Amino acid sequence: MANLSVNICGVSFKNPVIAASGTYGFGREFNEVYDISCIGGISTKGMTNLPRLGNKVPRIAEGNSVILNAVGLQNPGVEHFIKYDLPFLKEKGIVIIANVAGSTLEDYGKICATLDGLVDMVELNISCPNVRAGGMALGIKPANIEEVTSLAKSNLKKTPLIVKLSPNVESITINAQAAERGGADCVSLVNTFTGMVIDLEKRKPVIANNTGGVSGAGIKPIALKMVYEAAHAVKIPVIGMGGIMTGRDALEFMCAGAKAVQVGTANFADVNAMPRIIKEMDEWLNAHDIKDVNEIVDTLKLN
Amino acid sequence: MKEVLSTVKSCSQIAQNVYSLTVTLPESAGEIKGGQFLNIATGDNSRLLKRPFGIVKAEGLDITVCFQVKGEGTVALSKAKQGDKLSVLLPLGNGFNLPENAKNIVVLGGGVGIFPLIPVIATNPDKNFYSYIGFRNDKCVCLLDEFNKSKKLTVVTDDGSYGQKDNAVNAYFKDKQSVKADMIIACGPPVMLRALKAKLKEENDSTPCLVSLEERMGCGIGACLVCVCKKSDGNNARVCKDGPVFDINEVEL
Ligand SMILES: Cc1cc2nc3c(=O)[nH]c(=O)nc-3n(C[C@H](O)[C@H](O)[C@H](O)COP(=O)(O)OP(=O)(O)OC[C@H]3O[C@@H](n4cnc5c(N)ncnc54)[C@H](O)[C@@H]3O)c2cc1C
Ligand SMILES: Cc1cc2nc3c(=O)[nH]c(=O)nc-3n(C[C@H](O)[C@H](O)[C@H](O)COP(=O)(O)O)c2cc1C
Ligand code: FES
Repeated sequence: MANLSVNICGVSFKNPVIAASGTYGFGREFNEVYDISCIGGISTKGMTNLPRLGNKVPRIAEGNSVILNAVGLQNPGVEHFIKYDLPFLKEKGIVIIANVAGSTLEDYGKICATLDGLVDMVELNISCPNVRAGGMALGIKPANIEEVTSLAKSNLKKTPLIVKLSPNVESITINAQAAERGGADCVSLVNTFTGMVIDLEKRKPVIANNTGGVSGAGIKPIALKMVYEAAHAVKIPVIGMGGIMTGRDALEFMCAGAKAVQVGTANFADVNAMPRIIKEMDEWLNAHDIKDVNEIVDTLKLN
Repeated sequence: MKEVLSTVKSCSQIAQNVYSLTVTLPESAGEIKGGQFLNIATGDNSRLLKRPFGIVKAEGLDITVCFQVKGEGTVALSKAKQGDKLSVLLPLGNGFNLPENAKNIVVLGGGVGIFPLIPVIATNPDKNFYSYIGFRNDKCVCLLDEFNKSKKLTVVTDDGSYGQKDNAVNAYFKDKQSVKADMIIACGPPVMLRALKAKLKEENDSTPCLVSLEERMGCGIGACLVCVCKKSDGNNARVCKDGPVFDINEVEL
């Protein structure tokens, strides 16, 4: 049994496998299948100050080795989370990361202030359309990223801040550095890639929102490259994700420089994906006589 | 609710484009209620999502679903061979709850919507079922044996090539006076369920009515909020967890 525990921004995780936002809800449903206290942490469904109903259905479609989603941030609002889900998650003894979003800059400040000191980490989802950026996501232009990061940071006195980077950008390194300058304690990436799936018979996009976010096994090579680049562009720790389906996939992201990983779409393909991935990581480390998972971080040797 | 690796026992065509698939579970998945469903891998590894199908039969460790070939996933699944291994997550959803005192149950099924209704009839021998099932044409007709356990069975087709030329909803409303329904359960395409809701309203008919809905899914267990439907109160409900069976007045169709 290798040591799987990792420490990020002073927060200790029993293992580096975190449930990715939006695929795991607030953990309750997966806990009906297995005891979720075995996972490293959870990034909650993206939350807003007030409840949201989200997009019209269909909200999901499929492609080769990928899925496409546009849920549209349906969530019960942050107050409901604090009252109802937080006590449940606290009992599970896993790292609780609140994934937050907003339509205005002020929304981000407010929700961070509300959550400060209550959760282990806050993760800013800056990939959703924002008034400040004229309906475009805040996570696209470096200046917007720096601005929203520093506003969030100024509202977080106790809780470390993760900025989750969008991959639909000109330069992932410049954006990671913008988050670092804004005061982020950590960056996570990648969020989903914008895409479209078409029903040729109807000559219409399959999902109601027309476009959505692509995730799953098929995006892994692109995500790996971005994680490698971001990890070498900033000094703050990086959490990697995008298409992780197996323990080997997770270790590849860590090898590329990530200190921990998030697992999203794999939870749909296999409800037991997270415990399986943790087990597979341990098996691989044992088979290679590596005593501590941290030893694998940033060990990629370029040709 | 659990995910297990099942073994295909048989997969055979039972009507035009419709297959019956039986898999054997390695261990019991607990009690399964009529109207509950499962999510099953297609056997094509490039498809990350499992497909939801109503559970038609659960006998010991053998589970049967019947499905229509629609897109790539069901094409792959229709090629399943005995001995193939397919991951399956079950049982999912709430199923049909028939109150003790409801004796006369009207069953309305259209197309592939007939499948989730079969176990309800099979597992409630003490009730009187009046079944009205509709198919597109005679080539689509299947599984009548299962519905023959009903007190009365009416089969209709869109083109009259089997039974009367009619739809299930109309066929029932023609019979309504003689049936004296305590409850209606229905599953079928959205147009059928909307017609049913409109007809009940038009006739000021307050017979309790349960409908089983379909929506595209991600997790299948209630976590991702992909599969929602609109409730009459303006909120969303998850088809996979809060449903798929809802009171017809509770949801917008
Ligand atoms: C609770 C429930 C019970 C069902 N029971 C049955 C049944 O007993 N027999 C049967 O033939 N069909 C049933 N369906 C519909 C069946 O799930 C779809 O026809 C099937 O998923 C289509 O898959 P595909 O790969 O052929 O289509 P594709 O279009 O290639 O599928 C792409 C994606 O969309 C999803 N999808 C496409 N159509 C539907 C749909 N109508 N409902 C839900 N998801 C869809 C697929 O699951 C997949 O994730 C049920 C659906 C639900 C939600
Ligand atoms: C259905 C669904 C909902 C998602 N919701 C959110 C969200 O609310 N906030 C967020 O930051 N990311 C969200 N994501 C993105 C994932 O957290 C993750 O970044 C992405 O899916 C890539 O990882 P994967 O390939 O392992 O799924 C969502 C993804 C999916 C599939
Ligand atoms: S499919 Fe995930 S909530 Fe229903």
